[in-house]
Amino acid sequence: MAVERFFQPHASSWMTNDGKNVDIAMSTRIRLARNLNNFKFPYAFTEDEALKVDKEISSVLLDKGNELDYTFSHISIEELAELQKEILVEKHLISPYLINSHHSGSVLLSDNEELSIMVNEEDHLRIQSLQSGFQLQQAYKIANELDSLLEKNLSYAFHEKHGYLTSCPTNVGTGMRASVMLHLPALTMSHQIQRIIPAISRLGMVVRGIYGEGSEALGNVYQISNQLTLGKSEYEILQDLENMTEQIIQQERRAREAIALNSPVVIEDRIYRSLGVLTHSRLLTTEEAATCLSDVRLGIDLKMIQDVDMSILNELMIFMQPAFLQQYADKPLQPKERDFARAKLFRERLNRNGINSEGEDLA
Amino acid sequence: MICDQCGERSASVIVKQQQQGQIVEVNLCHICAAENHSINIAFEQDPLAIHQLLSNWFPNSQASINPVRKEVATCPSCGFTFSKFLRIGKFGCSSCYDAFSPQLNEIFKRFHNGNTEHNGKIPASYGTTLKIKKEIEELRKQMQISIQGENFEEAARLRDEVKVLSAKLEGGIQDGS
Repeated sequence: MAVERFFQPHASSWMTNDGKNVDIAMSTRIRLARNLNNFKFPYAFTEDEALKVDKEISSVLLDKGNELDYTFSHISIEELAELQKEILVEKHLISPYLINSHHSGSVLLSDNEELSIMVNEEDHLRIQSLQSGFQLQQAYKIANELDSLLEKNLSYAFHEKHGYLTSCPTNVGTGMRASVMLHLPALTMSHQIQRIIPAISRLGMVVRGIYGEGSEALGNVYQISNQLTLGKSEYEILQDLENMTEQIIQQERRAREAIALNSPVVIEDRIYRSLGVLTHSRLLTTEEAATCLSDVRLGIDLKMIQDVDMSILNELMIFMQPAFLQQYADKPLQPKERDFARAKLFRERLNRNGINSEGEDLA
Repeated sequence: MICDQCGERSASVIVKQQQQGQIVEVNLCHICAAENHSINIAFEQDPLAIHQLLSNWFPNSQASINPVRKEVATCPSCGFTFSKFLRIGKFGCSSCYDAFSPQLNEIFKRFHNGNTEHNGKIPASYGTTLKIKKEIEELRKQMQISIQGENFEEAARLRDEVKVLSAKLEGGIQDGS
């Protein structure tokens, strides 16, 4: 079956490690929220309407998607096995909200997994465009082209004053949420991140660790995104976010230089210990894996580690999650068993280049 | 509170799970929570619960069972009342925006740094008129900037552009160019 490909542990195009400033900005995402004019929104519609909305949207995309050189696969969420749903969530192709919805929903995925269109999530349509690296303009261009194509064939809920009408008042206007995923180990180590986060929020943007605002980020990965969707144009929102992200990237670079200069042995020791953990462990928790991945990633950026492929690290960040691990092990796993499977996965993936399966250097 | 899983660290995350139709609450420390949920960097997390904010801002409307104040707006299309909107923090349909219109400026201002009006993309199908109006507005703004910068040549060029667009608006856009 063609859709099977999306559940395989192969890298989506946005994990490939291409693009500007990819050493710090790992990936970029644009999301556009849209609703159809003649249907109630998902909080109020009936199952019958949900099915009609799904049909209307997916028929347009399946028919016309090729006008933009994309081929879309339509996947009905109800028809998926639990594990498959979770895999799509772990790959960021759908939201957890969609799989818990009480109504029929679906996702349309482009073959390269750059575009995913959720139907009947919180809004009728959530267009999501993912790119590797720091590529806000490119990600927006792709989302915008698809949006324009859809709009030619569908009637959107739009208001002269309020803009695109959404279920949630926080999305009204452009309906656009733009975000960049940033790896900020040096700003975290030097505790500068705590000062940066509140400053950003004053400018209509927000930085989040994985548990939400203000919390410590797992693996030193943060997401910066716009909060405002009303009053500014898409162009202005992207421009502001781009400027802010560039500043953070510069700060991170400066902090990295300072760390490498002031405590080279300490940082080198930490990086190599982490590489050792990833390539030799027999049990690996998510937290430890994320911390070590962050260190090794930094080691590659600082040119201390030369023989590890960054794109493998990107893949591992995704594939170390519970649903992928269970698919990899081909059976349900308890948390402790996952730690074992996770360690095995890391040894297998990282020891391919340069180091043998026991984690020793090849002669 | 101590973490339900490790029993060592203090709990900082409450996880609600639905198990066989029942909501089970687990209190976890940040480490066990990470283990449970892995690095699912949910793009869509709302840092604030919208409905909580709304209820705090409109405490009176929430208690609108008061029969004397019978002004509880109801959306004619989906049946959402303003208090329901406040309770769940979401609109039921596009007509809600008109039905609750008197209160919305206040809400949007707070969510969007004081902004209340859309200033971005307009669907082509929505009509060229609005697009032209907005273009004229934008050109006028640029014209002001040019005048302030004593860049009169540019200002004159922009003024001519405004003229062309205004004529288009009045003429009902016939040539389609």
